[in-house]
Amino acid sequence: MELECQHCNYKWDYLGDNEYYATCPRCRYKVKIPEDKVQVLRRKKLDQELKRRFPMEKKPVKLFGIAGMVNKVTEDYLYDKSMMIQILLRLQRSFGWLPREVLSEVSKQLGVPLSQVYQAATFYKAFSLAPRGRHLIRVCMGTSCKVRGAPIILDRVQRLLGIERDETTPDLRFTLETVKCMGCSALGPVVVVDQDNYGNVKSADLEKILSKYK
Amino acid sequence: MKVMSPKDLEKLRKELLERRKHKQVIAVCVGTGCVALGAQKVVEAIKDEVKKHGLEGVVEVRETGCLGMCELGPMLLCFPDEIPYFRVKPDDASEIISKTIMKGELIERLLYRDPITRELVSKVEEIPFYKYQLRLLLENNAKIDPRKIEDYIAIGGYSALAKALFQMTPEQVLEEVKDSNLRGRGGGGFPTGRKWETCRNAPGKPKYALVNCSEGDPAAFKDRALMEANPHAILEGLIIGMYAMGAREGFVYVRNEYPLAAEHMELAVKQAEKIGFLGEDVMGSGLSFRVGVHRGGGMFVSGESTALMSGIEGKIGEPRPKYIHTTVRGLYEKPTNLNNVETWMNVPLIISNGAGWFKKIGTEGSKGTKVFSLVGKVSNVGLVEVPMGTTLKDMVYKIGDGVKNGKRLKAVQVGGPGGGFITEEMLNIPVDFDEMVKAGTSMVLGSVVVLDEDTCIVDLTRYFAEFLSEESCGKCIPCREGLRVLSKILNDICEGKGKEEDIVMIEDIAEAMKEASLCALGSTAVNPVLLSLKYFRDEYEAHIKIKRCPAKVCKNLKGEN
Repeated sequence: MELECQHCNYKWDYLGDNEYYATCPRCRYKVKIPEDKVQVLRRKKLDQELKRRFPMEKKPVKLFGIAGMVNKVTEDYLYDKSMMIQILLRLQRSFGWLPREVLSEVSKQLGVPLSQVYQAATFYKAFSLAPRGRHLIRVCMGTSCKVRGAPIILDRVQRLLGIERDETTPDLRFTLETVKCMGCSALGPVVVVDQDNYGNVKSADLEKILSKYK
Repeated sequence: MKVMSPKDLEKLRKELLERRKHKQVIAVCVGTGCVALGAQKVVEAIKDEVKKHGLEGVVEVRETGCLGMCELGPMLLCFPDEIPYFRVKPDDASEIISKTIMKGELIERLLYRDPITRELVSKVEEIPFYKYQLRLLLENNAKIDPRKIEDYIAIGGYSALAKALFQMTPEQVLEEVKDSNLRGRGGGGFPTGRKWETCRNAPGKPKYALVNCSEGDPAAFKDRALMEANPHAILEGLIIGMYAMGAREGFVYVRNEYPLAAEHMELAVKQAEKIGFLGEDVMGSGLSFRVGVHRGGGMFVSGESTALMSGIEGKIGEPRPKYIHTTVRGLYEKPTNLNNVETWMNVPLIISNGAGWFKKIGTEGSKGTKVFSLVGKVSNVGLVEVPMGTTLKDMVYKIGDGVKNGKRLKAVQVGGPGGGFITEEMLNIPVDFDEMVKAGTSMVLGSVVVLDEDTCIVDLTRYFAEFLSEESCGKCIPCREGLRVLSKILNDICEGKGKEEDIVMIEDIAEAMKEASLCALGSTAVNPVLLSLKYFRDEYEAHIKIKRCPAKVCKNLKGEN
């Protein structure tokens, strides 16, 4: 990678791995490494890291199946351990849930103990370790919705689908969840199916709303 | 085009203003509330109608964030006269275009009708809901599309940043904020200037600045509305703050339940980088600032400062002991300043208008305005911004137009599950950090829930205890076990299995939790329990002794008679 010193205009090929500054070999002046070259450097570092991790092969192994799908995400985040939650969030979004294979693959690729991955996956509400239905019903149980009669709505949904909260119907059509406030308390009670919000819901309307989703 | 100096910014602004001089604008609210009532269909209908009339160059349809009056949504404003229309349906689109836009006539059935005088109101300021508010932060919501940086620049955005970077030193910016006496809007109301100063003077580099948009309080949606409607104002405040503190990197933490807010913020960061307010050499000043957006995993406790920081570090969001302030040792063990969305939004206002202007608004101890979500059993539900010192009575009766369906007011719940109850006799209490603390509650999360006579206080307290015991991270025992036992006792009381010694037991547990909990979740969790015991002891006693629920809410108990 070629760098130029602003101080003495000396040009040389930089071989170090510092991401911020390099020292000019002629005048010992600190030279800032431009942003685009930092990206090149990071790529190079990543290559080295991969080589270190798979020393036998000439090039990194091509991953298939779940490993490949996970690798697509982890590669985007440059195998950064501090991005684990973001990685899991993205995997959750694309798979719909987090199977055990995905979690162990994440742990392998990031070099994080499996227990830590499980800790995060079980701590946050956004992750699910069981399969989800095609449609997610979220009934808001925030203070305002509760005051405006959300428990009746929840009761009705449970009876219609025959499942308790946090469960999935056997045909994988719906998953029922309760949330604490969707941020539209003004319209309580609120029911959210996938991305569609329904405000001021009455228990008689529920059947009609749910029949829209197959 | 990249802005490389304050002059460039002025030039860009003039160009933008010139370009939209003769344009008429229809601003439709697509906040979450209005979307639930079908605002998206209204937007499409109006756009179709505009195309049909061939007005594409003249009329702009703008999708804005929350305009405040969620009760009467979907709502829209017709500029330049700012005519507000409520309860708009897609079928009304043709009439709006052909009458209001082309001829300037009013459509009477869509206007606001005063509930008492039955008169039509055609100005936003004359509607009682808006009349008693002071909308400094929310004012611009109707004027900008959150997805367009040009809109924000056109109304004078980023000029505060230019002023801070080129006319003031970091010390002067700090002094200005300190002088304005701005207090943190997210929690205990700690003076922001002093917090910044501690962070600036703390040893260690790099420093970090964080925006907290992880409001998990069930009933509050102010942070969400602010970030969805005006992300650039938050970003501008953050950059000014980073400049004052000597930080070069910032993060915006958005809770997982707010995907739209995160999306708007990410877009805002990208646009700001493109135009040169972020990244290398900001506006030609030679300084570089970076901002990242971090999505949370959906836990209430992750909004706590230390938990939020470990969340950004990639660990799980559990709080840690704060023997050393996070302003000295926070994110990655470096000095970190964390402020609420609303606090950051106040910063550009202070810098561009001066601390003296800001100090004129509000009370002795608390300056500026405060945004609340006014919800519950009140006639006008919505997003409200009032100057500090406004009484809760005014908020409920003047802005909120009283309790819904003419019922009697029982209490007002402020501050979410960590806040407290304010009874009818105490309603004259002003919105002020110190006064609120005196009343035993806090303004922590900016929600005002109005409760009428049909609400059972014991049931509501039980709900809060249950909510918090689900959300508690389980790291410290007083919080984990205390909340579990509290919610079990309260559950028993609601089911008619209450014993007389339960009340003493509740008080004992509450005291221990208050003293020994690790973070604010545990120590404030007892507030609603203790305050409800203080003001509504008779209700508890009715539940326990005569097994009756006065509000007829608890299923296993008899009603009043």
